[in-house]
Amino acid sequence: MKTISLALIALILAQIAAAKEELVTLPPRDSVQLTIYNSEDLTLVRDNRTLSFKQGDNRLQFSWANTLIDPTSVEFRAIDDKDGNVEVTETSFPPESFEMLIWTVTCKKEGAYKVEISYFTSGISWGAEYQGQVSEDESSMELQGFVTVHNYSGEDYENASVRLVVGVIHMVERVIDLARPRRPSPPVPAPSVPGSPSKENLRKMDSPASGLGGGGGMSRPKEIDKTGLSEYYIYAVEGTETVPNTWSKRLKSLTAPAIPLKTNYYLQPRKFGPLFTKVLEFKNNEEHKLGKEPLPDGIIRLYRRSAAGLTWMGALASKYIAKNDEVKINVGPDPEVTLKEKRLSFKKIDLSFESNGRNRWIVGWTTVEEFEIEVKNFRGRAVGVEIHRTCGGDFDFASDDSFANEDFQTRKFVFALGANTSKKIKFTVTTRGGTNAKK
Amino acid sequence: MKYRIFFSMFGAAGIAAVLSLMSPTPAQARIKLATLPARDKVSVRFDHPTAVLVEEERTISLQKDVNMVDFSWAGTTIDKGSIVFRPVKADSKVVILSTSYPPGENALTWAVYAPAAGSEAFRISYLMGNIQRETSYTALVSKDESTCTLRHNFTIRNWSGEAFDAADFITREGKRFEKAMTNGEAKKVLVNKWDGVKLKKEYVYDTTRHSEGKVLTDYVMMNARDSGLGQIPLEFGKVRIYQDDGKGTTAFTGEDWGKFTPIGDELRLNIGIAQDIKIELKKMVNDRENVRGNVFDTNEVDEYEVKNFKDTAATVVFVVRVQGEWAMQNDSAGFEKFERMDNETIKFWVPAPAKGTPVKLKFHYKRLNNW
Repeated sequence: MKTISLALIALILAQIAAAKEELVTLPPRDSVQLTIYNSEDLTLVRDNRTLSFKQGDNRLQFSWANTLIDPTSVEFRAIDDKDGNVEVTETSFPPESFEMLIWTVTCKKEGAYKVEISYFTSGISWGAEYQGQVSEDESSMELQGFVTVHNYSGEDYENASVRLVVGVIHMVERVIDLARPRRPSPPVPAPSVPGSPSKENLRKMDSPASGLGGGGGMSRPKEIDKTGLSEYYIYAVEGTETVPNTWSKRLKSLTAPAIPLKTNYYLQPRKFGPLFTKVLEFKNNEEHKLGKEPLPDGIIRLYRRSAAGLTWMGALASKYIAKNDEVKINVGPDPEVTLKEKRLSFKKIDLSFESNGRNRWIVGWTTVEEFEIEVKNFRGRAVGVEIHRTCGGDFDFASDDSFANEDFQTRKFVFALGANTSKKIKFTVTTRGGTNAKK
Repeated sequence: MKYRIFFSMFGAAGIAAVLSLMSPTPAQARIKLATLPARDKVSVRFDHPTAVLVEEERTISLQKDVNMVDFSWAGTTIDKGSIVFRPVKADSKVVILSTSYPPGENALTWAVYAPAAGSEAFRISYLMGNIQRETSYTALVSKDESTCTLRHNFTIRNWSGEAFDAADFITREGKRFEKAMTNGEAKKVLVNKWDGVKLKKEYVYDTTRHSEGKVLTDYVMMNARDSGLGQIPLEFGKVRIYQDDGKGTTAFTGEDWGKFTPIGDELRLNIGIAQDIKIELKKMVNDRENVRGNVFDTNEVDEYEVKNFKDTAATVVFVVRVQGEWAMQNDSAGFEKFERMDNETIKFWVPAPAKGTPVKLKFHYKRLNNW
């Protein structure tokens, strides 16, 4: 049910704030464009119509009952009005309705003009999802990306051109708060599965032009054109879509058939948690059959292909991945590649004391600890291993194995481990405490 | 004989001037003969950052000798102490003798002496509550992000209880527009539009502005003539920013609060996060030096790895803060220039090549603990 209306009105005011007679015309929409942001609950709607104005002042009423529109965002402009014939000279928000405004449009030359009404609405969102099918030997992955649009704005948008914005914009107030004051009911949170369709919506869904019944009458999935603008990427969906209120729709945004994968194992608590974990790695670049655009944040669901079919590997939330940036998918611990750590020895040296004659207490000490880490690869392929070890205080780190400084507290060992082999690394940590500490 | 005149404001209902034929007794015992003089002129001034001053002019018929002029109001919020009443003409012979405040009423009475019977124009000024004002801006940025068209809007919300049939609304910078407003109504008016305003885009790393260390995208414009502005101080207000997408339409790219910007000052607006620039901070050295009992200096090296995944090179402005007495060391590297903004703050301009090639900013400093 349409809730947004635009009316050209002639008002005869009997007296201020009294009953008024209205002559109303309802010009239809020529086109509508939705620009949907994923970082905020925000959609910019551009509603294009053709209106006839008489010379002089014209009053135009715009109302939006039972929607989630931010009244402060509603703007009016004439398109292709190079001579500046049409200008909004006043915007009035009448006291009797929060969901209505009246523009006074001053027109220098009578005629028909194309106009654009734009506004922010809450309740329409989109998100990215990915499906990865990893080859049995984990050497490659087929990646499919999807974008899903959810409409809980209270308004049906028919035959709308849809643009999705990837990026984090700065907002100082939430659109839902600005839309809220007289909103009759709270917005319905977006469920993961759309609810039952109304008969009216089913009819719209079945419409060949809608795009929701099966690609808008197209025999192929719609293309999504991706272009950069400032710090953002805009995904423009081919053609138009009908997005009825309370419905969601998923479109394919990306297909990469065989992304080369590396498998590495990390003990890096600050990044991957306390467990020794398997990480699938690739880069969002051309070498990896990607790199044409950034990958928006979203859920990645991973499956492994096998002769018997697909097996579930897991799901995780992915952050925004810029072009040329590396992607590390933590798929959790792997029982086929294990890590065990032992403390081989522990001793205290260089003890120093202070005394007041009767009592004595320790003021300086040094501990020397020897550790051994053994990594075993039970898999039939070589893997990479990276072990990060963070120490505290004034310490020395020594090892016969090759290591590097990650930062002032952290040392890291990086090595490759062949199929069905194991490796032991040993290191000694000497930590000075109390008055022995120099750093 | 004393004559009595009433001005009453009953919310938005109207104003009455009443000529009383009786002696000046308390309000409940008055017989009134009322005339209804319209306001000659009303102006609503927003000069003050928070208060709203209403000024109205009325022509009052005065009898010779002392006239009692009553001014009362209901349903509106008028600061009684702020009311100023005076004749419009500078050389008027009319004299305001005294002001009386009846108990328990939203009213006051002026004793006005007129040397002769006749009409006199008076100006009444008072602070009125519940008239809200809001400044907002819309910036339409060019595709190349070098200029913008800045629209300056002024919105008035009239919750005062009073209706203004026709009033001059005057903004802080003196812009005047005539409007009629009913009680409860809001009006938004375009008061200024500046085309071709120069702006500069900056990528800023500042953990006091974004605690997770994300890089912010700012637009910076000068409120100066040579930047296309500089005509008025820019009031505090929300700035909504759109950008020309080069395809005949625009995209909303963010919003920020614009601070009050005097002429000659800069306006900095954050539009969002530059997700394609990543910065990772590692502390590579954190040593104690010159230990004297429990007093020591520190030797610290902070290393920032900068990766710019955009297709074009960029410069990232680092705003770094170090507390206490400290000095940067000469082997600090990786920046184009730096500026010590104050004792705690240093700024580095770091060039970041395109397509993710990593570069490092090395900031080596020593904190001195001198006693």
